[in-house]
Order: sequence, then C-alpha cells, then structure tokens
Amino acid sequence: MTIAKLVTVQAAYDDFLQRSLSKLSCDLARLIYLASTRDYNTGSYHHEGLAARFSPEVATKALEIAHRQIFLQLSAYSLEELVEQLRIYFDSSRDGASEILRMWQKLEPYRIAIPVEVNPAVARLFLSNVRLALAIWRSRQEQSQQDH
Amino acid sequence: MISIPIAILICSVVMLSLALLATRGASVKRELAFRTDVPLYDETSGDPSLCPPEFAARIFSPADWTFVSNEKSRDVARLFQHERRVVALVWVHQTKTAIRRIMREHTRVTRQSQDLHLATEARLVFHYVQLVAICDLLILAIQSTGPARVGSLATYAASLSQRFADAQHALAITTAARDLSNAGTAH
Repeated sequence: MTIAKLVTVQAAYDDFLQRSLSKLSCDLARLIYLASTRDYNTGSYHHEGLAARFSPEVATKALEIAHRQIFLQLSAYSLEELVEQLRIYFDSSRDGASEILRMWQKLEPYRIAIPVEVNPAVARLFLSNVRLALAIWRSRQEQSQQDH
Repeated sequence: MISIPIAILICSVVMLSLALLATRGASVKRELAFRTDVPLYDETSGDPSLCPPEFAARIFSPADWTFVSNEKSRDVARLFQHERRVVALVWVHQTKTAIRRIMREHTRVTRQSQDLHLATEARLVFHYVQLVAICDLLILAIQSTGPARVGSLATYAASLSQRFADAQHALAITTAARDLSNAGTAH
C-alpha cells in the first residue's frame, strides 16, 4: 500500500470514528455495528456513506482496521469492564435486557463479531469473556428475582 | 561421584518425565480440538504470530477471579474456572507451536548460511529448549492448579518467547546481510 493510500485510509478511519462510531454508546455496540458492515459470504466490509466520501476500496480497508482495533480493545478488557459494557449495551437497546440476554446466551451472535485475521488465543479469550459476562448477568438477574 | 545404577535411574526418571510431558501435550491438543470454539492454531493456515504479551497477562491475571468470587455464584465460578483453563491451554499450545515454527525457520536459514556463530546458535537452542520445557510445565500446572496460580511463569514464558522471536528475526537479517556481503566480496 502506498503512503498516499495509507493517508487516505487513515482519513477515512478518522471520519468514520467521528461521524459514526463516536455516536454509539459503548465499545461492544461499536463492535456489533462494525461486524454488521461485513458481508457474510465474502468477508469484505461495506459502508455506503464512507465509500461515497472516499472510495469503496478505502472504506473497506478503514472499516477492517476499525473492526480489528475495537475487537482487540474489547478483548483486553477485564471481566468487570466487560460486564459494564453489557450493561451499557442493554440499557441503550430498545429491546429488554432479559430478552437480549436470553438470545445472546442461546444464539451466541457475538461469535460472528470476530475479525477474520485474528490471533486464535485472543479470539478464544473474547468468546470466553463474553460468555462469562452473560452468565454473571444471568446470575445477578436470578438473585434479584429471588430477593423480591 | 554418582554410581552407574543411580545415574541410570536418574536418566530413566528424566526420560519418563519427558515422555509423560510429551504425551500430556498431545492429549491436551486433542482435548482442546473438541472443547474450543475457535480452531486451534494450525501450522499451515493459522495466524503464525505469537499472542501479544498483554493478552497473556489478561488470561493469567487473578483479577478476574477476584471479581467472579465476589459474585457469590457457584455456577459462575465453575464456568469461569473451566473457561479460563481452556483459554490458558489454547495460549500455551499456540505459543509452543509458534516457537517451534520460529525454530524451524531458523534452522532453514542457518542451513543456507556459510558464516555461523556457534555461541549465538547455542544460546538460541538453549532458549528454545527452555521455552518448550516451560510450556510443558505450564500445561501440567494449568490442568492441576488452574491458570491464576501460574501467572508469573506464563508472563515469563510470554516475554521469553517474544525475545526468542525477536532474536531469531534479527539473526536472520544479520545472516542474510552477511551472506550477501560475502557473496559481493567473492565476485
């Protein structure tokens, strides 16, 4: 990749961070959003607004970098921080926390939020931590139901 | 002075321990293949790099266990112990495979080189043997006591394997440059 192209990708990345990602409530929401811009079949990223402002190729690269960065950031979180991320995500969602919790434990949709080229141990740590954070939420819910 | 029967006995014990460690490593690999969501690091198609050291610190950190203990849920505690053990074993397995790959690459480079430094080579081999032994020891320790208790050994293994990878990389560049320079002088 040439220096000029790298500069453009950086500009697209900054633009995307400022216009889209910063509007989301937490890093977990950012990860889910970024993963949703990826095509299930081809693995390439698409974002119309970003592609129109820059180019489809530059937008794809910027999204890929953003996805990887946010994923690594989340994977390095402690379990306590991840539980807090879940709280913010549940609170900002229109659906009820119990419903999201049930679906997330059943379908494990966060599994498809992992970038393609990622270290296997880091990927395993992320999946394991989300599973644990959900179990902690479930346990807290059950305890509060017993208390009432 | 050690007598011959004692020496034979010591050798047998050492050989048996090594065989046990090797068997244990292979069985862990088989077990992980069933128990992990992410496929194990594959030497031909997987990510060949070492896991970044900050993640090793996170995997083996006792802080998460303290947090989970405060939740006062036996189910969550049990799930945590199981999950973290598997992640730790994946990390050790990946580290071991990565250093083996690095050593193989180094052997390939040195075979083609005409100017080798014996002391440097010996130091590299010593680090390699040490790392493999630590990884095998970690597998046993993780399975028996859990990852939180072996945090310092794992952190040491992570930094040593990173140094090993860096040293091999630097050596490969130096060897290539030296061979190029020698070839230039010869012509």
